[in-house]
Amino acid sequence: MIDAAGPHNLDRVFAALADPTRRAILARLAEGKATVNELVEPFGFSQPTISKHLKVLEGAGLVARERSAQFRPVRLNAAPLAAVAGWLGDYEQFWAESLDRLDDYVKVMQKKEKRNARKRTGK
Amino acid sequence: MPASAPASEPESEREVTITRIFDAPARLLFDAYSKPEHIKQWFGPIGWPVTLCEMDFRVGGKFRFAMTGPSGRQNTPFGGTYREIIPNRKIVYDNGFETEGAGRMLVTVSFDEHDGRTTLTIHTVFESIAMCKSHTSRGFEQGTNSGLDQLGERVAAMAAQEARNA
Repeated sequence: MIDAAGPHNLDRVFAALADPTRRAILARLAEGKATVNELVEPFGFSQPTISKHLKVLEGAGLVARERSAQFRPVRLNAAPLAAVAGWLGDYEQFWAESLDRLDDYVKVMQKKEKRNARKRTGK
Repeated sequence: MPASAPASEPESEREVTITRIFDAPARLLFDAYSKPEHIKQWFGPIGWPVTLCEMDFRVGGKFRFAMTGPSGRQNTPFGGTYREIIPNRKIVYDNGFETEGAGRMLVTVSFDEHDGRTTLTIHTVFESIAMCKSHTSRGFEQGTNSGLDQLGERVAAMAAQEARNA
């Protein structure tokens, strides 16, 4: 799952997710595949606008068009989202977890320091 | 920050401040930040060990880190340059992923010690509002009733469904 959003794709995924309309399209597609026309109705945008957003989502690997079927429905590809949710997407969560670890580690450093101080003073 | 940064975007809309109080002196926290053998022990979430850790800890010196996730493959390296170092007080560096077109961020880490306790503040200014939004949960809460959390839940359910069908 993680590998699906390889290094070169991650920025495109972030850029794609930065737009509220594109997130709404993804949320809609999470309920099931849809044709472009089915996406035009609920969002109140023109078909070219929706198509433009879909192109960005497709470039990020977040959606795929079915080439063979009639009306070429669009479906969600969840894999890159899993990678983003992993850690990169949430900077604050990244630091919350890192600082938890730093809190533990700094206690280890303090113990080491005390041990070394005792050695030096010969106690 | 590179010249491409849109200077017109107000800093208040593309910054994130993270604060934590530690029951430890500032010099130890500063030490934890300034040596690779320490960085490897705490930097990054659990399950994402730092597997590349090059750092030339001096003003103008560069650092380059990468983490390896649960897939076992090393993720894209990221790094930058130390801009300012005041021992036991402050570290300023720029940072960003080594991906074409990836945005940069400017990070100021402050260590404020009072009565043996230290307040650590990580202040990050992203290159653009778009970058800030894409990297923080805040961005996903605005302007839409389909936040990423909600989306994440649905995606998780879909993935489970796919796994059952496979």
